[in-house]
Amino acid sequence: MIILAAVLGYPILDSIALALQRVQLTGGEIQQSWVGVANFQRLFADATFQRAAANTAYFSVVEVVLVVGLSLGIAVLLNHPMGRFGIFRILLIVPWAIAPVANAVLWKWILHANYGVLNGILKSLGIIGYYHVWLGTPLSALNFLLLVDIWKSVPFVSLLILAGLQRVPNILYRAAYMDGAGRWQSFVHVTLPTIRSVIAIAVVLQTIWSLRVFDIVFVLTRGGPADATALLNFLAYRVTFNFLDLGYGSAIANVIFAVTMLLAILYVWLLWPRPRSAGAGTR
Amino acid sequence: MTAVELRSVSKSFGHHLVCRDVNLSVREGEFVTLLGSSGCGKTTTLNMIAGLEDASAGDILMNGQRVNDLSPVQRDVAMVFQNYALYPHMTVAQNIGFTLKMRKLAPTEIRTRVERVAQSLELSALLERLPAQLSGGQQQRVAIGRALVREPRVFLFDEPFSNLDAGLRVRMRVEVKELHQRLGVTSIFVTHDQEEAMSISDRIAVMNAGVVEQFGTPEEIYNQPATRYVASFIGSPRIELYAGTLEPGACRIGGVALPIGAMAAGDPEVEVGVRPEHVRLGDRGFPATVRLVQPVGPATHVTLDWEGGSLTASLPGFIRLTPGTAVKAEIDPDHLLVFDRKTGKRRAPQRPS
Amino acid sequence: MSFTRRQQGGPVVRTFIGIGLAVFVLWSAAPVVWLILSSLLEQQALISQPPDVSPAGFTLDNFIQVLYAAAALGRGIMNSAIVALFSTAVALALGAPAAYALARLPVPRANGVAFLILATQMLPGIAIAIPLFIAISRLGLIDSVFSLGVVYLSFNLPIVVWILRGFFQGIPVGIERAAAVDGAGVIATFWHIVLPISIPPMAAAAVFAFVEAWNEFFFALILTRQQAQTVPLVIAQFAGQYQTVFGQMMAAAVISVAPVIALAIVFRNQIVRGFADGMTKG
Repeated sequence: MIILAAVLGYPILDSIALALQRVQLTGGEIQQSWVGVANFQRLFADATFQRAAANTAYFSVVEVVLVVGLSLGIAVLLNHPMGRFGIFRILLIVPWAIAPVANAVLWKWILHANYGVLNGILKSLGIIGYYHVWLGTPLSALNFLLLVDIWKSVPFVSLLILAGLQRVPNILYRAAYMDGAGRWQSFVHVTLPTIRSVIAIAVVLQTIWSLRVFDIVFVLTRGGPADATALLNFLAYRVTFNFLDLGYGSAIANVIFAVTMLLAILYVWLLWPRPRSAGAGTR
Repeated sequence: MTAVELRSVSKSFGHHLVCRDVNLSVREGEFVTLLGSSGCGKTTTLNMIAGLEDASAGDILMNGQRVNDLSPVQRDVAMVFQNYALYPHMTVAQNIGFTLKMRKLAPTEIRTRVERVAQSLELSALLERLPAQLSGGQQQRVAIGRALVREPRVFLFDEPFSNLDAGLRVRMRVEVKELHQRLGVTSIFVTHDQEEAMSISDRIAVMNAGVVEQFGTPEEIYNQPATRYVASFIGSPRIELYAGTLEPGACRIGGVALPIGAMAAGDPEVEVGVRPEHVRLGDRGFPATVRLVQPVGPATHVTLDWEGGSLTASLPGFIRLTPGTAVKAEIDPDHLLVFDRKTGKRRAPQRPS
Repeated sequence: MSFTRRQQGGPVVRTFIGIGLAVFVLWSAAPVVWLILSSLLEQQALISQPPDVSPAGFTLDNFIQVLYAAAALGRGIMNSAIVALFSTAVALALGAPAAYALARLPVPRANGVAFLILATQMLPGIAIAIPLFIAISRLGLIDSVFSLGVVYLSFNLPIVVWILRGFFQGIPVGIERAAAVDGAGVIATFWHIVLPISIPPMAAAAVFAFVEAWNEFFFALILTRQQAQTVPLVIAQFAGQYQTVFGQMMAAAVISVAPVIALAIVFRNQIVRGFADGMTKG
């Protein structure tokens, strides 16, 4: 019976996911005509698509680097005896729980051109001379979008890395101390190698999450200004539901799917326990 | 020359007093064991000697110098941990060489010294392996190698064999003792296994509840235990203790008067200790009934019921006795240990003047 | 120097860490603090440059307005609650046995199935959204709470299985063997022995699933029109409509995130542990 429950649970998912993929590849619009690979060809020639792809690449890479970097720093801070208070962990879980939409709405308000508090504070501190329209220029908009998502993503990744940090056996630090290692050396030679896999997982997970960003684009910029913040995900949505070109939208979606699939495989490959090769590490 | 000295060292964690007024003096080249059950303070004492814990009070000296404020490296001590604490992502060679790398020695020099140590511990074939690929005994030897390569002034061992199976433990014991004989480095060893302590130490410090009850050679500890605790901790099978009263020339336990040599004057309320190997069965002595017979090879442990309670005798060879048999038991009066019932301290026999 | 003292670091290190922690707290808390503050300030205070945070401007008006005037918010909350509870509960009910089966019983290709679970987590919604949309509109189930619930269920199920499987694999086999010797079959063992000790990870899985369902935007956007709108949609709408009444916008946001934040805070330890364990026990 349990096997039945298991077996039942799976196909529900499988069939939804897999069978529907087949429908995707056929392309087609409201009239459901078979156009074969034409949509894909169009894709690679389309400037908008290329722009979106570039934006998405930029966004993802920068986000992953910054998120993992900041998270590592925060995790290290919280691992120190001074950071052991519960309040810090509460601060970490709250951003995760906030809906991306709510987060976007909040930041829309913070970054508001006329009344936003960011403008207010910066102007009061004398850092800027006048109120900026943060989301108004292409590069600025994209980078602020990054800020919004990084703010939300860092905490959870920090928690993951922190969990990994706390798994390092304390006795290794003692042994390193006996061996004469200073704080920095202990970090480099004991901590980092041990959390290598955790960091790798964090990188892959965050990349996948970066590719799924949608809500903030929808709420904050709708892809503008001038398509500067039109990430692939959003582009697919716009093409499908605003321009009603389901076939083309599906094609874009498939590209995203393919990339994500590759990453998923990478993730699994990293996780899957296998005997460590001899001679790991430097010498 | 005193290699390590502890003067009135105490340690508390918050309100919890773990070590109380510990005084120890270890000679150069000596192998000293801190022995006791869990919680007696032996590991804390070791950690203080190592420099991993600060002493709350008292002085720790090495070669006459006060080292309380020095780090382990500065004290020139090396430690072998209970769980080996090998760096899992480094090879055996890297594990052993890590401390030299921290000292910024040249790679060629590191390589030479690592190979030399590996050879002396028969680890040469395993240098490129990872700890996870080694057996327990091999890992332990790597841990020893890591300490050895430092050529420290003092070697510290924190219950290094408790994670090994019995046979391996005995073999490692032999290796450590041979190593000590070969190198002659001052060593301080912590264990809860009294047989281990007895077999490898020059002197043993028996600790109980943060206090050193006795610090002496294995023979002193065994034959002249300072306190009731030391007597019952050392020796297998355990010593039997009975409440008794001292009378001239004898010790009365219940209805039985055990002949005993002259004792120094004191409280007649005592506790008497009997080691199994000093009990003889024959046709003289007090009456007893056989309860259990356990042959262990070189001897047979016979558990008897007598007026004073239960008594285990260790008799050489294989003894055939059935439970329920009535026998007569005699205890060698020269080896009766007498302890003051209130203080637990041993009463020395009176020397004829 | 004692090891513990060394771990704390000298005064320089400690100052650094203190500063770091302070910056961290500021960076994490500031936006949330502003969110709450804004919802409590009246319009006049908010639109002055810079915003005026003196207590004089405090008011509960925003909340009152939002709760009265916008029936949509109320409906949104109810829809979100229904959908989230439904998908979470059913995911747990189906997922726990499934996870147990995967963890314990020799189901063929268990690892392959595990991989599939992972894959569904990685899917960008857009990939299946379009065909799903087509299928559901054909069924005439657009704008139905039910269809949304089922879709969310198919997302939550893998999460639940993922977290619980990791946990189940970690239970010492000895306990289950003892139960077998006592005469319990697989189902009885699961129900009487395994489940009771699985409450913390199940709580974690439940909270995880609930939060994901409550916060989900993309599919709600695509699959609903008027009736079945969930909270995130309503909030997004407010952001578009109530462009000018910022306090109300924030108040609506506060109302929408309050329940999940409360849940997250209460269950924070279980959540992280559940996710981390599931992550490392592959």
